[in-house]
Amino acid sequence: MRACLVAAAALLLVPARAAAQADSTRPPADSARGARVRDAAAGPAAPAAAHRWELLVGHSYSSARALLQPATLVLEQERDAPLYSVVDAAVLLRGSLQPRAWLEMGLRARAGSARPPAQRAYGAMARLFAHLDPILVAAGYEYLADGHFGVHQSAATLELTPLGGAPGLGTWVSPAVHVRWRPWLGLSWGDGARPYARLAAEAALGRTEAGLEATGWLVKGSGVGFVQGDVSVQLVGGLYLTASGEIGRAPPTFEPCGRVGVGLGFRVAAGF
Amino acid sequence: MRRKDERGHWWTDGGVERAVTRIVRRLSPGWERRKIARKTRLHADLGWDEWYVLRVAKPIRATVHVTLDDRALLDLKTVGDLAGSVWSRMAEA
Repeated sequence: MRACLVAAAALLLVPARAAAQADSTRPPADSARGARVRDAAAGPAAPAAAHRWELLVGHSYSSARALLQPATLVLEQERDAPLYSVVDAAVLLRGSLQPRAWLEMGLRARAGSARPPAQRAYGAMARLFAHLDPILVAAGYEYLADGHFGVHQSAATLELTPLGGAPGLGTWVSPAVHVRWRPWLGLSWGDGARPYARLAAEAALGRTEAGLEATGWLVKGSGVGFVQGDVSVQLVGGLYLTASGEIGRAPPTFEPCGRVGVGLGFRVAAGF
Repeated sequence: MRRKDERGHWWTDGGVERAVTRIVRRLSPGWERRKIARKTRLHADLGWDEWYVLRVAKPIRATVHVTLDDRALLDLKTVGDLAGSVWSRMAEA
């Protein structure tokens, strides 16, 4: 007989706007007129830039969508066998450099004893965003290593996305269909140029939200893909139940991998 | 109370709110005009992701003549916050 224990813990710090999404039942504080007067009295300092820097903890810093997925720690135990773990987590610090550009710095880990070392990855990155309407451009540098720290990948990246312009691109398809998507095109320079494309899509229905992120790289003339997805249900307040999975080949080793896990997520705002 | 935009045009707080609401409506195809108001949430109700919200900067600069900080835009929650942010950047009379 086999006994399994799956425990999950997660912490996700998201900006105040994400907390506002969760708090959909809060009544308006006052009338529109009263709010207008308050805005006027607040003067030039409010309400913008209340938080110049923010700290986020989530599943991965690969995209805004990935950070909304809670970081997960899954522990699995079988009788007469060691306790296995799966960790997917990232920390991101971001803030303004100047009015039209901002900086992100992050650390991430795909780890845990249930994963073979070749499938683990540790990374650090810095990314600079520039808003060049109608597109957003991100230039960055990322270091990735496998679980043995035997395979290293250092690469400069340049990626862009259109701010909008197609149905569902960055906004709900319609008021009744809460589905949106965002494409990214990128080029990575490390041991050669490696173009890639990423598609992030998400859906929301009541307390349930789902996300899918697919990335494809051109590696030595052939295509390699990696897909990760999640479904989260809001339990109470900032607490979520999250099921997540991944399949494909992820950098830096591009070893084939696949995983499904269930975890708990917790979201709070952290700006300073 | 009236305030001046970056080109020296005078605005009232109500005028700013109406102009900003019109811009948000233009960026939200499929929505009924009357359903977008001060309390409408950019992210939860309209579904604007954190990059889509930056689209609003250009028409606001063109219409209301106010330049908004991109990072500050990402912090806004409602149409009213957006109108308040524009209003707060205008010079008082």
